[in-house]
Amino acid sequence: MAENNYILGMADLLVAPAPVKLVTLGLGSCIGLVVFDSYARVAGMAHIMLPDSRGRLGAEKIGKFADTAVPSLVEEMLKRGATRPHLKAKIAGGAQMFALPGAPVDFLTVGAKNVKETTMRLARLGIALVASDTGGNKGRTIEFSTSNWMLKVKTLGKGVREI
Amino acid sequence: MDENTFSPMQLDAIREVGNIGTGNAATALSKMLSCKTMMDVPDVKFVSVYELSKYYGNPTDTVAAVFVRSIGGFMCSLIFIQPEEESHFMVELLLKQQFGTYIPYDEIPEHMSDSALTEVGNIVLSSFLNAINLLLGTQHQISVPGVAHDMLSSVLDVAASVFGQMGEMALLIKTELKVDAGKNEDVKDVRGNIILIPDPDALNVLLDKLKVS
Repeated sequence: MAENNYILGMADLLVAPAPVKLVTLGLGSCIGLVVFDSYARVAGMAHIMLPDSRGRLGAEKIGKFADTAVPSLVEEMLKRGATRPHLKAKIAGGAQMFALPGAPVDFLTVGAKNVKETTMRLARLGIALVASDTGGNKGRTIEFSTSNWMLKVKTLGKGVREI
Repeated sequence: MDENTFSPMQLDAIREVGNIGTGNAATALSKMLSCKTMMDVPDVKFVSVYELSKYYGNPTDTVAAVFVRSIGGFMCSLIFIQPEEESHFMVELLLKQQFGTYIPYDEIPEHMSDSALTEVGNIVLSSFLNAINLLLGTQHQISVPGVAHDMLSSVLDVAASVFGQMGEMALLIKTELKVDAGKNEDVKDVRGNIILIPDPDALNVLLDKLKVS
């Protein structure tokens, strides 16, 4: 059976049964979060933009914030037949695209905050974070395939890395 | 923040601010490169914060971007963004203008090309900011510029994360500059876009100062 190919936009969240390929293009400070269960053969991805919904829960796209995206993605996975002990996570993204010498700008470090919040939320739910490629100052395009449960991370000028 | 936040008159005022800023930036660029520079009337509209990149190209297009932060009466950030290849033409243009001879981009050391790119971005964005702060009667300070060569969508995450904190819509102030290389045979025309990212509430300051609040 051919893989279904999905490209997720900003703040999208999607769960699909294998065989599937989940793609996010050009992550900067955003996070691409993958949660999968290779026994139940189901995988999900979220394109997280910001760490914290600050109480605006439900008012906006659920995949936008780490604090809403992580529990929602896990819940959706469980609904689709995944079992909690088998859930694993991989993350990529959270870069800082610009650095201004001598002028710390709060919102330029949102990538690091996204990584921190996503990691913390996963830990709180007891989901094992088995691989990550985060930080730095380069954007990433990511592809997760259920053919090998690997996350392909493409970085401009640095080639492809599989995690 | 969405399409109902501002009246048509207020949006006109914001467009005019973009127009004045871009006009000054175009003049500065024209002087710096000794070339004719054209600009479009800025397009001001509310767009989905999730789809910002589609107004500038494909998400994975490679772009060169210069970022500055301005603090003072009108707090904002600005990005000068160009297709990567056209930023190379611009660096060639600048160096030809400075040294009198054409050097192909590939033969320019990276630190020099990035320095040239940063300098052009800095001049363009400072000119934009000077004009609008003069108009508003506000003081401002501009940061040292930061530069990135990366995918369009990755670079625009900076804008998306600022607008995204305020809601699901972004106020797109789209201004395009075109440098006409004219009779220069070696060098090609160059396009660039200035992206204005006001801090939360900065637009209210702007409208206050323009007395259209």
